[in-house]
Amino acid sequence: MKSKKPVFFIVLLVALLMAYTAAFGVEIGSFKIKGAPDIRFGIDIRGGVDAAFQAANLDRKPTPNELEAARTIIETRLDNKNILDRDVTIDKDNGYIIVRFPWKSGEKNFDPADAIAELGETALLTFKDDAGNVLLEGSHVSNSAPQLNRQTNKYSVSLTFDEKGTQLFAKATKELIGKNINIYMDDTLIQTAVVNEAIPSGKAEISGNNFTYDTAKELADKINSGSLPFSLITKNHSTISPTLGSGALDVMLDAGLIAFAIICVLLIIYYRVPGTVACISLLIQTTGQILALSIPQMTLTLPGIAGVILSIGMGVDANVIISERISEEIKSGKTVRSAISSGFKGAFSSVFDGNITVLIVGVILMIFGSGALLSFAYSLLTGIFFNFVAGVTASRLMIRSLSDFDALRKPSLYTCFSKRRTL
Amino acid sequence: MSRDNQSNAPVALTPSGSGILHFFNKRFIFFSISILIMIAGLINLAISGVQLDIQFKGGALLKYTYTGDLNADDAADVATEILGRPVSAQITEDLASKEKRLILNIAGNYGVDASEQVNFDNALKEKFADNKLNLSESQMVEPFFGRKFLTNGIIAIALSFSLVMVYVWIRFSKIGGLSAGVMALVALLHDVLVVFFTCVIFKIPIGDSFVAVTLSIIGYSVNDTIVIYDRIRENHDLHPKLPVETLTDLSISQSITRSLNTNIAVFLSVSLVFIMAKANSIDSIQSFALPMAIGAVSGCYSTICIAGPLWVMWQKRKEKKDPKKLANA
Repeated sequence: MKSKKPVFFIVLLVALLMAYTAAFGVEIGSFKIKGAPDIRFGIDIRGGVDAAFQAANLDRKPTPNELEAARTIIETRLDNKNILDRDVTIDKDNGYIIVRFPWKSGEKNFDPADAIAELGETALLTFKDDAGNVLLEGSHVSNSAPQLNRQTNKYSVSLTFDEKGTQLFAKATKELIGKNINIYMDDTLIQTAVVNEAIPSGKAEISGNNFTYDTAKELADKINSGSLPFSLITKNHSTISPTLGSGALDVMLDAGLIAFAIICVLLIIYYRVPGTVACISLLIQTTGQILALSIPQMTLTLPGIAGVILSIGMGVDANVIISERISEEIKSGKTVRSAISSGFKGAFSSVFDGNITVLIVGVILMIFGSGALLSFAYSLLTGIFFNFVAGVTASRLMIRSLSDFDALRKPSLYTCFSKRRTL
Repeated sequence: MSRDNQSNAPVALTPSGSGILHFFNKRFIFFSISILIMIAGLINLAISGVQLDIQFKGGALLKYTYTGDLNADDAADVATEILGRPVSAQITEDLASKEKRLILNIAGNYGVDASEQVNFDNALKEKFADNKLNLSESQMVEPFFGRKFLTNGIIAIALSFSLVMVYVWIRFSKIGGLSAGVMALVALLHDVLVVFFTCVIFKIPIGDSFVAVTLSIIGYSVNDTIVIYDRIRENHDLHPKLPVETLTDLSISQSITRSLNTNIAVFLSVSLVFIMAKANSIDSIQSFALPMAIGAVSGCYSTICIAGPLWVMWQKRKEKKDPKKLANA
């Protein structure tokens, strides 16, 4: 029979590599694997701002286009504040724009209430000449949209003005032939365009070689935002200060590391060889889960951590069931090798059934859950995946491999302390 | 994948063996314990009611850290004056850092607009200029969001309950799948109630962390119950002649080390999280770790002491009604 001795070391190496990657991330040239330092934490853990904006003074639901335009305003303002790690989503059904952003590390002097208030202010879109004189305001633009010019096959942005806007624009373009018109949102220049000819019709086109559909749409959205018929208010917002937020993170991290160490010590003392294997397999599971969160940059919230705790609990359980079974089989008089294989066989169905039921809960949550529940469901699903990979497969590979060493074939190394003899 | 029971060596059973713990005989003690816990929970519920998190009921909450001395009533009066809404104030002190905190609860089930809050913040800081007020946490919530979240949560929980039951029903058809599924649900409800009453007794507001904890406990409790059912199913094949109560006691006894060990590991870690959060006064983590720790204990208890014996009672009733059917099942 071929020796399986090296298998243990290969799995151990994989576990250590995963642990290293998860703890520090890996960067080779332009290739980067994000690790724990890059995990995106929800504002309930790291602190930050969570706000839902809704239209004020509007007796109807805002249209999807209006919401898009409002989102653009908020995005632009966040850019100006250099808040890049953010999450702006639209709830079209209910007419909300939801903004979430965590604190930057080291953030101390930041007034969240002020920031939220500023984000929601009505945007003022203006068309100015080079001297800074306002030619017309965004409220005179009745519509702006990206369009494809069939002849040149290039994208451009169309502008349609209302009656007053048509007059103002005609006058401005007549005077500024060969010169620039600059479009500002608040105090930010968003586009400069050279006037080619006078445009009296109230319909214009901003074209350029660099427009793609996305950039044309972005500009059109920004221009539309200037004609929003409503301002934004926030009845719904919460902030958690950076000091409180990072405190939560440190506490969870410390508690997690200590708990992991205690569990490992207990497993090794109680279950010897299978216990040691269980620790390595838990390491694979935990680090796998960290990578599953950090690589796709899923936001980890407190409910998400509940999911991680649950799946680590399930991982401990899978390993405990396996170790118990092996110990039981050995007590009933089997050799180490056959105890291992029947132990795994006996443990498999309960580990499998247990995981599948939790999987059902996870999938249902993924479908029906919202917000915080999604983070929970995601941790749970990835946890179950790694539980199968680590708790079942990797553990089996490692135990089988270890039992090939003569020194590790003593039955006493596989039996636990339990004096209970049930049969 | 199915287990290959033929590979297991035949085992001899010692009927009065010291190894078997007699859970079934003591079932009424366990049922009474659980019922007492439920009654205690209900009494607490009647007295103090449920505290819904601001997320679910809507409203506004502001937490400030401050230095020096501050009178909570003064602060509330000033806040009421500025906002024109009734405000209640509360003062807490951090055990570890001795940091003092002023918590302002603004009445009404609607939030405060951000620009309104800026004005309020400035005015309050001006009035208490010596106390160096600093906003540490704020929550302004329209109940709409919470309601949507709660409805989704309840739909999700109800659906996963029923699907889990169907799964158990199918997978454990050998040992009376439906009864097994129903009893797993009874154990689940037991644990959900324990988590809920924990929140009531410790005055932990019901918010999204409650939903997450409940779901974790559901997952954990189902897993626990299934491990035991699995053992029952296996022993059912090994010892087809065994009376159902002995079968169950035997199966529980065989897997009790595992149940306790896993439970101790989970309980230990979650308690550690709780203790450290308590020392650092981080409410959000405390209100999540405490019910989770207690729920984990309950999950282990309900599986062994409630689901197992109840399932036996169901089987015995069926046996009485139709002895032949059970023998073939």
